[in-house]
Amino acid sequence: MKHLHGATLIAVLLTGATATAAFAATRIVVALPADIRSSMPGTNRDDNTDSVILNVVEGLVGYGEGGDVKPLLARSVETSADGLTYTFRLRSDVRFHNGDKLSSADVLWSWNRYMDPKTEWRCLAEFDGRNDLKVLKVEAPDASTVVMRINRRSALFLDTLARTDCGMTGILSKASVKADGTWDRPIGTGPFEFSDWKRGRGITLSRFAGYKSPEGSKPDGYVGLKTPGVDVVQLQVIPDPATVKLGMASKSVDIAQLLSSDVVEVKNDPALVTSAESDSSKHALLFQTRDPLMADAKFRRAVAAALDYKQLVDVASDGLSKPNNSAVFERSVYADATQRKGFKTDLTQAKALLKESSYRGQTIKLIANKRSPMPSFQVALVTQAMLQAIGIKVEIEVLEWATQLDRYNAGNYQMMSFSYSGRLDPALSYEQFTGDKARQARKVWDNPEAIALIETARTVSDKAERQKIFDRLHEMALADVPLINLYNGLTVWSRGKRVGGFSPWEGKLRLWTARVGA
Amino acid sequence: MLRFVVRRLLAAAPTLFISGAAVFFLIRLIPGDPAALLLGDQADAASLADLHRRLGLDQGLPTQFSLWFQRMLHGDLGQSIRTGEPVLSLVIDHFVVSARIVFVAVALAAAIAVPAGMLAAWRQNGKLDIGLVSAATVLLSIPSFWLGLMLLYLFGLELGWLPVIGYVDFSEDPVAALTYMVLPVATLVLHETGILIRMARASTLEVLRLDYITYARSKGLSEGAVLWRHAFRNAFGPTWTLIGLVLGNLLGGIAVVETVFTIPGLGRLLVDSIFGRDYPVIQGCLLFVAFVYVLINLVVDLLYPLFDPRVAEA
Amino acid sequence: MKLRKMNAAIGGTILGAIALAAGIGLFWTPFDPVTLGYAKRLAAPDAVHWLGTDEFGRDVLSRLMTAAATSARISVLTVATAVLLGTLVGVLSGYLRGWTDRVLMAFNDALLAFPGILLALGFLAVAGANEYGIVVALGIAYAPSVARIVRGTVMSLREMDYIAASRLMGNSEFFIVWRHVLPNCVAPLVVLATSMFGWALLAESALSFLGLGVPPPAPTWGNMLAGSRPFIAKAVWLAIFPGACISLTLLGINLLGDALRDRLDPRMRNT
Repeated sequence: MKHLHGATLIAVLLTGATATAAFAATRIVVALPADIRSSMPGTNRDDNTDSVILNVVEGLVGYGEGGDVKPLLARSVETSADGLTYTFRLRSDVRFHNGDKLSSADVLWSWNRYMDPKTEWRCLAEFDGRNDLKVLKVEAPDASTVVMRINRRSALFLDTLARTDCGMTGILSKASVKADGTWDRPIGTGPFEFSDWKRGRGITLSRFAGYKSPEGSKPDGYVGLKTPGVDVVQLQVIPDPATVKLGMASKSVDIAQLLSSDVVEVKNDPALVTSAESDSSKHALLFQTRDPLMADAKFRRAVAAALDYKQLVDVASDGLSKPNNSAVFERSVYADATQRKGFKTDLTQAKALLKESSYRGQTIKLIANKRSPMPSFQVALVTQAMLQAIGIKVEIEVLEWATQLDRYNAGNYQMMSFSYSGRLDPALSYEQFTGDKARQARKVWDNPEAIALIETARTVSDKAERQKIFDRLHEMALADVPLINLYNGLTVWSRGKRVGGFSPWEGKLRLWTARVGA
Repeated sequence: MLRFVVRRLLAAAPTLFISGAAVFFLIRLIPGDPAALLLGDQADAASLADLHRRLGLDQGLPTQFSLWFQRMLHGDLGQSIRTGEPVLSLVIDHFVVSARIVFVAVALAAAIAVPAGMLAAWRQNGKLDIGLVSAATVLLSIPSFWLGLMLLYLFGLELGWLPVIGYVDFSEDPVAALTYMVLPVATLVLHETGILIRMARASTLEVLRLDYITYARSKGLSEGAVLWRHAFRNAFGPTWTLIGLVLGNLLGGIAVVETVFTIPGLGRLLVDSIFGRDYPVIQGCLLFVAFVYVLINLVVDLLYPLFDPRVAEA
Repeated sequence: MKLRKMNAAIGGTILGAIALAAGIGLFWTPFDPVTLGYAKRLAAPDAVHWLGTDEFGRDVLSRLMTAAATSARISVLTVATAVLLGTLVGVLSGYLRGWTDRVLMAFNDALLAFPGILLALGFLAVAGANEYGIVVALGIAYAPSVARIVRGTVMSLREMDYIAASRLMGNSEFFIVWRHVLPNCVAPLVVLATSMFGWALLAESALSFLGLGVPPPAPTWGNMLAGSRPFIAKAVWLAIFPGACISLTLLGINLLGDALRDRLDPRMRNT
């Protein structure tokens, strides 16, 4: 009897304790490098904006860890045999932040809003036919089904819906818009509500108590387990990396993105936990094959053989990354053994190729920028040193980012140290730099066979077939050397010891993974 | 008086116009497309064209200029390319932040420098004088951004007395806002005091040499009265002009201090807009700064007679 | 005056020491200022690296010495540009008067209405951030001050008898300007030039700080200071030394400038 009394007492005390604890809202402060551009998903945005907004809204489908698209607000997606009709069956347990149930009418409303040119949706051109694909019809036969019809077979339709720069085609409640039709704030289905936004200062997100996570036992890209762990997230705009570090040191900031050069010193700080997450972005050295010297394949191969990739990546990423010469990112579901093959460093071979090439000792201009946190300059510096070792004279031209982007788009350069933003699907990744130079001056690889292969990969949905295509493309790239993919980018994150579990993905904040005290 | 003000403002108009036009065309000469920057390396031709149209960048330069000019005359400076906010309110918000720090700093600096300069002049070539002048010279030789950095390190990091990140506006929390202002203001005060002491001292010296001071002394006035009633008002004149110059320069060059202390002020806005090719904001900022500069000069000239009755208003 | 001599002495000594370091730096530095040294990064000052190393393992002292030469070169070229441009405008304006004067001065004042850094920012974004861009940008930014001073001197000299006499003697206007007018501008110009040297040094540092200065890997005090900021918590020496160099040089310039001002232009005295 005594034991029972004791146990009951302890149980009561514990419940009381947890109840009290529950009243104390858990709060974390996260540093943002810049203010968000707008609170409308997929409209007037940049990566930083997406990073915040995608905690608030969710789309019918979303990316998994390896770049494969999985159902999110949809319970399942069926494709017709001809590949032209997609049927989305919605989950029944999803609610908006204002309590309303998700229904197909909401999906329709959101879709029509996105397709309205006045909304200025970033991805409008992807679905209205200007970039080949066109959504012909969207219907809601019943409250939990949405049917979309497209004009041609595509392997990338769902991928495009899930794209983060499209705002994941986030489904919004009509209440996001004011009575007069102007935008108010995003009322979505995500783990966090958009509570407050002080322009230039910061954003406050609050836990959505009624959130129902999609299936999964652990976080998986933008799907998987998404139950939020903290009550309030204070996103503070701190544009200056030096100040961010001071903030972490003085504990006024809980989570922040750091420069990879900071890891060395931060690693030894007992109060901080550092992690480096690789993503699908690519750091590469580009050749402008219209330039007479760069057109010489032997020269390009000489450069490829002259670089010690392990050391270059080591210095540029402060030892945090591994070389990856493939356009398929290392965590992709398509990253097989063939993709892991890379350029071989062979100085003797490099010197021999150089001799056979048309290089006559002239100085080559290598364009780079110092825009933090991109490693463009570090890559250029080490490349310069390594090429010097086999007798190639390189001069680094440091440009401001805006100017460099201009030169990139115009194709006006000899060599460039460039960073490609993340593309999860390998077909899109190859497409970033492959194409007809006559029509798009920024394309680097102007190879008809490659262009045709990529086109097939865009249409064919069969995984095995696509894997064969990507393997072929990689082998061609290794032989042709139109550019040298060096490594996948990464983002470095630091958090105070009181924050646990936080795990960003593709450089974006997955705030639902953060826990306090755990 | 009103005529004087209006005439001055009108006289400034051509300068402002030239500046505005020059800025407009110059920044569009800069390589770099704001729309391309917004879309990054993922820009496809269709989205780029959409964005160009939305931003009004698809029309010819003269058309763009006349559009901008007409709107400006109505007080509409356009919208930021990067955030879509109206430029005028954006510029004013940021200006208020900078202005608070600059005006407080200059006022404090003047309050310290003028008495100190007068004191130094009064005790010319004495130990106090040499000490003050040397201190002033050293202070004005230290770049404000380095001073700011060192102060931030000392008081923010090492001692932990003052906050190092962010900025709190007065409207949110006056007390906290004050702590955020201490270091930037201190940095500016130290630097400007150096400049102002020397000028105050020099003008006081000029005046003290004059006959009417000897006359006042011979009349039996105490030194304090001599200094205050006669020397101060006349010595302050050139210093007052210098204060105007200093204010103007600071408002323009405050970008570095704002960078060190992460203050969302006008300088930082301008620098960020240049990097982001945010044309309307660049134009708005520069025009605003030029306008404020004209205003400051005007106020300085208007109040000058207070300090030097010999200067008649034409 | 005793004070003037002391100013000149101290100022001259400081500048001399820095010039010496810069001069030596042109030919020899303890370590190579631009090669990356992966081994010893962010090392504190010790016996080998007297002032420590930076984030790429480069020796700070060597970089400071090289930077001295670069910063000095930029400042001198800027002052030269400003003086040349400004004198040209000032002489034309002051001598020819009339509409030329009005138009030139309108543009001049328009430029003056902008603090130098803003002009430089705009110009650099167009021309690209490199040594020549900075020199031209700052030169144009400072030329209006020179123009005003030269114009003032020219206007006051114009009416003087010996100018009229010279003209009567048959001398060309150009000769008059060269022989009579310009030499009289020298004194105030020297004083202004001393200040401008300081402004240019400061401006170049500030521009580097904002990200628009001389591009790496060439070191300037300004871009070394800018590059030190991410490491200020762990390697504060990277921020102390470049800033101290700038301050010392400016101090030397100011002291020397004071002494020169006393000697050459009693109207602008501060002592």
